[in-house]
This record gives sequence, C-alpha cells and structure tokens, in this order.
Amino acid sequence: MARMKFLCDAERCIECNACVTACKNEHEVPWGINRRRVVTIDDGIPGEKSISVACMHCSDAPCAAVCPVDCFYTTDDGVVLHDKDICIGCGYCFYACPFGAPQYPQEGAFGARGKMDKCTFCAGGPEEDNSAIEVEKYGRNRLAEGKLPLCAEMCSTKALLAGDGDIVADLFRSRVVRRGGRPDNWGWETAYKD
Amino acid sequence: MKLLSLMFAALLLSACYEDTDVTLHEAGVYKGSDDKHAMSADERADVLKQRFNQVQTDR
Repeated sequence: MARMKFLCDAERCIECNACVTACKNEHEVPWGINRRRVVTIDDGIPGEKSISVACMHCSDAPCAAVCPVDCFYTTDDGVVLHDKDICIGCGYCFYACPFGAPQYPQEGAFGARGKMDKCTFCAGGPEEDNSAIEVEKYGRNRLAEGKLPLCAEMCSTKALLAGDGDIVADLFRSRVVRRGGRPDNWGWETAYKD
Repeated sequence: MKLLSLMFAALLLSACYEDTDVTLHEAGVYKGSDDKHAMSADERADVLKQRFNQVQTDR
C-alpha cells in the first residue's frame, strides 16, 4: 500500500513561492493562514538554500499523539487528516509539530483560536468527497480525482515532489546519483552549525 | 396574564435547549466521521502512481 510523502529537493528550489500561492488558491485558504511556506536557510548569503515546508504527514504523527480529543486519523494512503467537528482548537498539535504545520484561523477573546487547519495533501477531510461542506472546511479533494497535490504538480523546477514515498525516494536517489553524491545542504553540519 | 407569563416562561426555557448528542472522548480512539472513498486504497495507489509518472518525473 502506498504511503504518500512530500520531498523538497533543496538543490532545485528557487524560492518562487508558487507552491504557496497554488495551495492558497486551490483551497481558498483564508488570509493569514499558510498551509505551506518556503523557508530559506542562510538567506542573502551566497549558497543559500530554500525548502518548501508543510505538513509532512508523519508515519507516527506527533500531532495525533498529543491531541486531547483524538481528532486525527491516517488514511490508507498514509495521509494524516483531522475532523474539524471534533477539534477544540487547543493548539497542542502546533506545539508538537516539528514543521509548524497546524494553523489557526482566529484570534479571539480568551485565546480562542478556532478549528485547526493544515495541509491535507489535497485529500480533503472526512466529509463526502468534494462535497460543498468538504471544500468549505478542508479545501479541494484532488486525491479523490486521481490527482496529486497541486503544490507539487505545478512546481516549475520539480523541486517539490509528492506521491508514494517509494517512488519519490527512487526519483530523488537517481537525482543524487546523477549529481555525483549526496547534497551538501543537509546533514549534521547544517543542522548543528552555530 | 398568568397564562401569558407561563407561555413566555415555556418559550424562554425552550430557548435553553441544548443538543445532548455529544461525542464522549475515549483515549486513543478516533470518533470523528468515517472518510469514505469511491476507490479502494490499491486502486487509488495505481491511479496516483500513473499520475506521478505523468506530471512529476524529471524533464
């Protein structure tokens, strides 16, 4: 069975932010919410690298582990989704997520955040596929239409890949081999440099 | 007047009605709606694999 994964090839990402725009447009994400964002390491310094980050649909998702009302579920495709009818907007998932994926639409009295919103891998939610209520709550369900996430499909440099983890890994491995080694932007030296 | 006040009280109380159909939480159990799909997981995987090869492989 397939396990859907995102992978951003930092050697190819040109920080165009088209993935961010495509996501916002496709799902009509409200102002102030970013399901996806582009992060640049060493911005402005020669050799800077950018990656596009959203929910990574973790196999053992920490957001699901900390949710006090267990509103998360994982589909057969390995996509981590949640039911907004159960979400209480507590924000625990935001603190647990290493990618900053969970977003909250409101800033209200007494810290009310509203229902959590995040990348759905363009797989909608638990409502009927592409029903009006699903589109309103979670955005479009492209997976039900046999399509992959729009952010990856329209990436001009094919830096952002989305699909079955095995196929994505094979493609990335072939790129690394073609380049003649592993990319030097990731690794312990990058993660733990001062 | 008494009848009117009783009717008014009944109307007020009916406005206090609360839906008692609540979801009781059980630790580690997802109690949201089921996510149903038209295709099986294997069929979906095949379709998405074809799609990946169409639009995301290297140019």
